[in-house]
Amino acid sequence: MQTDAVAVPPSLAGALETLRARGLALRRGSEPAALARARPSVPSGHAALDDALGTGGWPRGGLALLDGPLGSGGTTLALGTLAAAQASGGLAAWLDLDGTLDPAVADRLGVNLEWLLVARPRDAGEAIELAAWLGRSGLIDALVLDLGERAMPERRALDRLGSLLARTAATSALVLAPAARPVAGAVAGVRVALRRSAWLAVGRDLVGQRVQATVERHRWALAGGSAELDLWFGEGRRIDPLVSARAEPRLVEDRPALRVVSA
Amino acid sequence: MRRFRRPARQRLLALVWPDLRVPEAETAAFTPMLDALDDLSPRVEAVDVGVALVDITGLEPMFGPERRVAARAVMLARSVAPLTVRCGIGDNRWLASLAARLARFERPDAPAAFRTLDRDELRDLPLALLPADAATRQRFTLFGLARMDQLAELPRSAVGAQFGAAGERLQALARGHDPRPLVPRRRPERVEAAATFEPPLDGVGTVGLTLRRLAAELCDRLRDRHLAPDRATLVLALEDAPALRVAQPFPQPALEPDWIARLLLSRVEAAARVRWSRDTATAGIQQVPEDHAPDERPEPRVTSVTLAFDRLADPATRQLPAFEAQAGRWEELRWSLERIRHRFGEGRLWRATVERPSAALPEHRSQLVDIGR
Repeated sequence: MQTDAVAVPPSLAGALETLRARGLALRRGSEPAALARARPSVPSGHAALDDALGTGGWPRGGLALLDGPLGSGGTTLALGTLAAAQASGGLAAWLDLDGTLDPAVADRLGVNLEWLLVARPRDAGEAIELAAWLGRSGLIDALVLDLGERAMPERRALDRLGSLLARTAATSALVLAPAARPVAGAVAGVRVALRRSAWLAVGRDLVGQRVQATVERHRWALAGGSAELDLWFGEGRRIDPLVSARAEPRLVEDRPALRVVSA
Repeated sequence: MRRFRRPARQRLLALVWPDLRVPEAETAAFTPMLDALDDLSPRVEAVDVGVALVDITGLEPMFGPERRVAARAVMLARSVAPLTVRCGIGDNRWLASLAARLARFERPDAPAAFRTLDRDELRDLPLALLPADAATRQRFTLFGLARMDQLAELPRSAVGAQFGAAGERLQALARGHDPRPLVPRRRPERVEAAATFEPPLDGVGTVGLTLRRLAAELCDRLRDRHLAPDRATLVLALEDAPALRVAQPFPQPALEPDWIARLLLSRVEAAARVRWSRDTATAGIQQVPEDHAPDERPEPRVTSVTLAFDRLADPATRQLPAFEAQAGRWEELRWSLERIRHRFGEGRLWRATVERPSAALPEHRSQLVDIGR
């Protein structure tokens, strides 16, 4: 029987051994990714989504685009990720280009404002550069790059950010960019599509929404997984134990009229 | 029955340099000698020019008998300046000072004289050794008091009645008591290191490695003294241009050469940018060569770097990271944020606090606080 050790020339075997010693082993399709040996992924705050991602959460060193129309729960999901990252002892940052972040809502969703850095860049280019600086520090676990509704970042800048994050492999960056979907979607290593399937109501009050999250692209795991997430609004989360213990939330069909009521 | 541990007996070492006590003597070496004595004990008092007190309580297990401790102090001082010195050891500053005063050189070329003095040995010493004025000495003589024990054995009330409070203090000294504590001098407030480049370096950004080396050197010097800097002053001497000087306070006292060097480099680059834009504006377009765009104008060359640390503080003030996971990382992040402020300017980095969570308008619910102010 011919073994690999016999087949591989001694010089190549030595080189491979050196690579393995440095943690740079070549990966075949069936082998676990190198990410498994790195720091654990950043939890999304939803076990179903962590499973669907295949990496146990948002991979460190990667850009992840939360792709969905306005009101589809991207901000709520991002805030939940920051809260989960902080709960595991990490630091978080929110780059708020349009100044739309409401810290009170973040607080209600479980984000510890004491360990949240809020950055207010002047434009999209500066936002990406700031994200690169923060990622380079290696101290931020989860970072949300909220480019707002109108910003159109340069693809080269986003590419550079992705490369830098991959090199440091410490920060997981979530991108919220409804207007820049084509650019950000092409660059991001992970793309998760969000689509609202139903509203959640208790009595006459809307307390959240049920969202279908589909992993459309994943550079480090198999894409195609999906998860159903119940994203509670701030107040909904506050009564979350009551909802789960006593009252079964009523699913309301997603109708345009209800969107108006919610707004 | 509870037992109390007796406090260690205080022992002070007095050092007197006769050459420095001479009027118009060159006294520049005195302060460096005190700095050298810091390596022996953290409690060093500069009593007067040429007179120092060192607290050597508890040093015997480390350095050996008192005489050997004194010899070590002499060695440290003579490494700065080869001056003769009188050493005296006693339980308080009076006994130590008097012991140094009474110390005799064993031979004419001996570098140091040494003596210890206990309370019991005071008895037979003359009263003239007491720091009394001439009138008091004369009255002592009128009362027939010539030795220390004669004054010490008198009732305190009687001495107070005849000589007042000053007399009571002198009697306490004659009994070997001196309540005046040792007052350690302030620790050195500034350390400095410098490097010169020959040939000069091109551009301000090229001094990074040298900055790192200088910062590491200063941190090593301060680490031995359990001190950490809270501010750095960096001076870059430039060729054909005024020196570039920046003073950068740190987020917290730290002994991290990497953090310090990176922060200083970003600060000095920001300062160079400001000066560059100002110079370009004042020079006008006419003075810029046509084949050079304004950004391509060569930067001035750096001939030397001087790095100084001051506002020295105790580094043992960072205990919160031991109790809260994020605190230590946030402290480290503040160094990066400081560099981001230099790069992008003010008004970019904030921390949020919730003020009125139930307010109707979002802008009334919370408040953003600029980080670094």
